[in-house]
Amino acid sequence: MSHLSDDDLVLHYYREDGPAMVTAERHLGSCAQCARAYDVLNRTLNAVAIPELVEAPDDTPALRQLLRAQLRGEGVAAARRLPMPDGEMSAIAVAWLVALLYPLSLPALFSSASWAREQGAAAALAVLTLLWACAGPPVAVAVLHRIADGFDRTTTRLRAVGALMAAISPPLFLLVSRLGPGLWPWYGALTLGTLVALCPWSKTARSPGRVLSLHRVTALVLGLFVLAHIVNQAIAFVSVSSYAAMRGAMRLASQNPVSYAVIIAAVAIQMATGAATGMKRVRAGAIARNLQAVTGWYLAVFLLAHVFSAVLFSAPPGGTRVAAPLTPLNLLANVQGAAQLPYYLLGVASFLFHVGVYARLAAFVYLAEASVRRLSYAAALAAAMTVVTIGLSLCGVHLLR
Amino acid sequence: MTDADVEVFLALVERHRGYMYNLAFRMTGSEQDAKDVVQDSLLNAFVHFERFEGRADLRTWLNRILINCALDHLRRLRRRPDVRSPLQIAEVADTAASPSPDPERLVVGAHWRRDVEQAMGSMSPLERVTFALRHFEGRSIAEIAQAVGIGHNAAKQHIFRAVRKLRGALEARWSAP
Repeated sequence: MSHLSDDDLVLHYYREDGPAMVTAERHLGSCAQCARAYDVLNRTLNAVAIPELVEAPDDTPALRQLLRAQLRGEGVAAARRLPMPDGEMSAIAVAWLVALLYPLSLPALFSSASWAREQGAAAALAVLTLLWACAGPPVAVAVLHRIADGFDRTTTRLRAVGALMAAISPPLFLLVSRLGPGLWPWYGALTLGTLVALCPWSKTARSPGRVLSLHRVTALVLGLFVLAHIVNQAIAFVSVSSYAAMRGAMRLASQNPVSYAVIIAAVAIQMATGAATGMKRVRAGAIARNLQAVTGWYLAVFLLAHVFSAVLFSAPPGGTRVAAPLTPLNLLANVQGAAQLPYYLLGVASFLFHVGVYARLAAFVYLAEASVRRLSYAAALAAAMTVVTIGLSLCGVHLLR
Repeated sequence: MTDADVEVFLALVERHRGYMYNLAFRMTGSEQDAKDVVQDSLLNAFVHFERFEGRADLRTWLNRILINCALDHLRRLRRRPDVRSPLQIAEVADTAASPSPDPERLVVGAHWRRDVEQAMGSMSPLERVTFALRHFEGRSIAEIAQAVGIGHNAAKQHIFRAVRKLRGALEARWSAP
């Protein structure tokens, strides 16, 4: 047997080496070098004495005063701590309002962008309407921040489904608007969501590990495909011709029956496994987990609209099987294009944050907390810059024509 | 909620306060910090008491809140090192200067405690809390991972790094003549 590592010795000291404990014990009996290292560790950790029990100070009167003060200024104090909807009803109202009003943000975005082209000062208004159109996922994360445990109560389910509908508004709106003219399909989808929230849900069990493993493996396949798209879209900011050349090559690759089947299968598995875990991972106070769940919901509907649109809405025989290309490359040229701007921007942001949050959690295993924090800030900045670059290219801003 | 609810809550948590205070003391290493962490935890528990619903054991639920509050508190201290209570170092200095029968041994002990304190101070909040729960509380890595809300491997790695820092600070003493 090779020598025991420092970490093996620590596990052995704390009797956390499981079945390897007997082998480690035998090795320590026969290897002088490891026995010496273990002895030093033993002496060091044994000398870090457990602090003696101390008597708790009797601060009941101070605590009583604190709790009563909290009771009196409950709403005000809570609102000061976190700029998020505090009461159950206001959180539900905010989430559903964002979803209800989403369609109105699109003509507002188009009008403000048209106005900005004539008067530069109106650009701020265009940015504000774009933020309104993209508000769904951030609002969903804020609403989930104080969600109660379990989905036994109707209000908790209304809160969760409201957050879901707010988060997925852009892709869901594009999907359902193909069902018919006007806003009726959209309000029909929201009504369906309300009915789902009003019905009792079965008890949620813990997600099996296999589902998560499958989700991660297929994410690798799909990640490459999505990453190529993001790089291509970012290239469009520099040069439209380079973008067109790369897009042509990528379309050839994705229309190949084998790669098309792999992509469709990967997307289907991602959606199924994501749906099996999505709502169960939501927890009050866990911003990173909730952000991953919300971006996952968005990606599921985004991919459904993007990849399956030709299949779902019967593409003409012999027609393209993949999503239609963006031509012209300026989504603010018409109202229909403007509807796709928040859809694409949030798609890119969701992908980067969904993968980024997982990478951050995984990094904790290998790196110190401070390094992970620094890397996270750098990655978040890079992601934000990528989204802005793609946003500019989608608005028809290119360095080279 | 009313003032009567405050009294009910205080009565419910009364028998857990001593345990909470000691756990907080082991995680933060300072009595003043422990007091602050317990107060924050009980305030949090009171605000979110409706979420408890008796599904879990009250002590387990309070523990979880306490660990999160201790982590937040240690992170705050790390961001603002000037607000750290100097109590521990002062204690060590008092011990070293005390006119007890064996001053030499006390000074060596004081140096040792100071090294341990410094090594613990160099740990990140997660390293310190996971190490305290493993070493002082004897909790298993699986329990620690669940209580802190991180993965099993991550909990293990935080403990390894904490032990490495302790070894770096203390092992030289064993090899010194």
